[in-house]
Amino acid sequence: MIKGCYFNGETSEKKDVSLYYTDEGHIAFVETNMDYVHYSELKISSRIGNTPRYINFPDGSQFETDDNDAVDKMVKALSNDSFQGLVHKLENAKAFVFFTIATVVIFGWLFIQYGIPFFSKEIANILPEEASQYMGNGVLEIMDKSWFNKSELSLQRQNELRKLFNQLLNNIEGGENYSIEFRLGGKIQANAFALPNGVIVFTDELINLAEDDLEVAAIMLHEIGHLKNHHSLRSTIQQFSLAMFVMLVSGDVSTSSSVITAIPVMLVESGFSQGMETEADDYSFEYMKSNNINPNNFAIMMAKLEASFLPEYHECLENKKALSCIKEAVALNKTKKNHANVMNYFSTHPSSQDRMERFKSTQEK
Amino acid sequence: MDHLSAKSAINNKPFEFTGKGGEFFAIWIVNVALTILTLGIYSAWAKVRTHQYFYGNTLLDGVSFRYTANPVQILKGRLIAFAVFMAYYVSSTMSPVIAGGALIILMLLVPAFLVMSMSFRLRNSEYRNVRFNFDKSFKTAYKVFAIPVIVVGAYIFILGLLEHGMATNPEGQAFFPIAILVLVLAMALMFPWWEYMITHFKVVHAKYGSSDFTFSASTKNYYGLYLKMYGLMILVFGLIGLSVALLISLMNSGSGSEGMKAIMPLFIALLVFPAYLWIFAYLQVKRTNLLYNNLHLNDNKVKSELKTGYMFYLYITNTLAIMLSLGLLMPWAKVRTARYRASVTSVDVAGDLGQFTAMQAEKQSALGEEMGEMFDMDLGF
Repeated sequence: MIKGCYFNGETSEKKDVSLYYTDEGHIAFVETNMDYVHYSELKISSRIGNTPRYINFPDGSQFETDDNDAVDKMVKALSNDSFQGLVHKLENAKAFVFFTIATVVIFGWLFIQYGIPFFSKEIANILPEEASQYMGNGVLEIMDKSWFNKSELSLQRQNELRKLFNQLLNNIEGGENYSIEFRLGGKIQANAFALPNGVIVFTDELINLAEDDLEVAAIMLHEIGHLKNHHSLRSTIQQFSLAMFVMLVSGDVSTSSSVITAIPVMLVESGFSQGMETEADDYSFEYMKSNNINPNNFAIMMAKLEASFLPEYHECLENKKALSCIKEAVALNKTKKNHANVMNYFSTHPSSQDRMERFKSTQEK
Repeated sequence: MDHLSAKSAINNKPFEFTGKGGEFFAIWIVNVALTILTLGIYSAWAKVRTHQYFYGNTLLDGVSFRYTANPVQILKGRLIAFAVFMAYYVSSTMSPVIAGGALIILMLLVPAFLVMSMSFRLRNSEYRNVRFNFDKSFKTAYKVFAIPVIVVGAYIFILGLLEHGMATNPEGQAFFPIAILVLVLAMALMFPWWEYMITHFKVVHAKYGSSDFTFSASTKNYYGLYLKMYGLMILVFGLIGLSVALLISLMNSGSGSEGMKAIMPLFIALLVFPAYLWIFAYLQVKRTNLLYNNLHLNDNKVKSELKTGYMFYLYITNTLAIMLSLGLLMPWAKVRTARYRASVTSVDVAGDLGQFTAMQAEKQSALGEEMGEMFDMDLGF
């Protein structure tokens, strides 16, 4: 006998009833004179924790009870369906719950760490070149409008650099799709960008830091590395997959979860981005090694780029030339303590220190 | 039953939430594991089980609520929403024009999504074997959404024209921030009215069985709520801004060390985060109270007595617990929030709850609800 309440489905009126069943599967209530209903005609809700169970009758009426164990007993006695309540059994097995935690942690981590980058790489490689082209179109115009000004480098200097760039491209498959542009960076300062459509933009401020053109070449190769590896497309796909993943896993938990998921998402995304920077560094490094360019040029340029963000450098620029200022700034930067910063994990780039070390140390080997 | 005497007797029936953190944890972790192992397919079943757990543990007058959605229907909706979402995401990276076009189309569909989503949610909710319901009045939904969209759209259009004319004119550029400020102010002033309109729309089209819900709040209530919140925001963030400015000036005057500069962002985060949560809690609590305290079903009236202070305490402890447990305490956080919400909600019942009659229900598409969820709109009721 299972105690519960009965609702006829036409009104919300509640009747307290007791359900009983026979070994043959005949079901009826003690308190009503309803005809027997056979077990096979019933719809019994599956067990979820200790929430009430619902048994629906063919006439639209419903029996509700919180006596889960009694319902389970009835189901066991009358049904030959062994899959009944499988998910509940999983949820209820203590050992299995630990197993699932392990599954979630391991698979979740594997999926984020390797799955997403792997799939986005594969997809980016499959997608036609036009996909990248589309993405880049219009980007430079927007950047020009909001940040850049016309380059102040002399035409002669620009041509020299273009020649250097083309020389580098000679050994690169698909290099004919890449081109180079110069802009006055302004607020952007010393920097270089690879746009998905194959245009690489250098700011004058970066060019002015270089004493030797090979230093510029090292950065050019890094940017070409981004293009060769379809990084823009990949990061778009990665961000999308990550957003989907977070939505699916945390999906139904809305209580201030946007704050909670924002930080891990930022961490993972900067992890992805740092991974790509390292890939682009790898490309630059391999190229330089196989073409007899001293990889130290990259390390030198990195040191300069880092120092160029010091306020002292900008003060110095007011009365001196960039080259002498940057030397002072690099020297000054070295004296500063290099304390490990938590913010590094949030950065889109690996720490310059680590990047420089790679180019220096591998060169010595 | 003597109808008249039943009507005169009003008794207060409290909601009760009987879920347990540990129990829901087991359900949740199995959901997450199966979702990952099936590459997301199981998420539809996970959603249904989660809803069923929370509905089933919510009792009114000793009887539970029931969520009856079909996971297969939800899965179909999710797949379509996924395709649309992906198309939008990819197009938005490719060309601003395509993205803009896609966004406009999606925006045009928002009122329809809202209606379908409300309808799906309510028709799949039951209490005492009687379904909730939602009148699918698309026309009214579009009317409710049209006015703010037209106002903001017209403003942005004018702004665009101005920008075009001003791009070459340096004097014009000074005017630009003012124009944006005016837009923000106008939105802030329009928002309470709009929220009232949407809430009113949702409530008056909702039904339990064949009985209509009614809504007794007015625009005045919503303006009162939001003006207080704006005041609170200005006060709190003003104070934070002031103290940060003070600290920075102290540091620049030379008394600050390198170390202090390094912890500055952390310090600001420590100030801003609780302030943000407090305002968030305030808004949630006041909106929920305003909604429920003005919700009537025949002569029955809902009562909600959420407190900002306690909600803030819940949010902040939940956030910390979830962060420190790397997400594992999420189920616990959800359960205790639901328990608190139920504990302060009740219904003033006129007569008894057995007097409602059912209505025939038709099949619903899950698409609206899923689309809404994907684009992260607040469609909760």
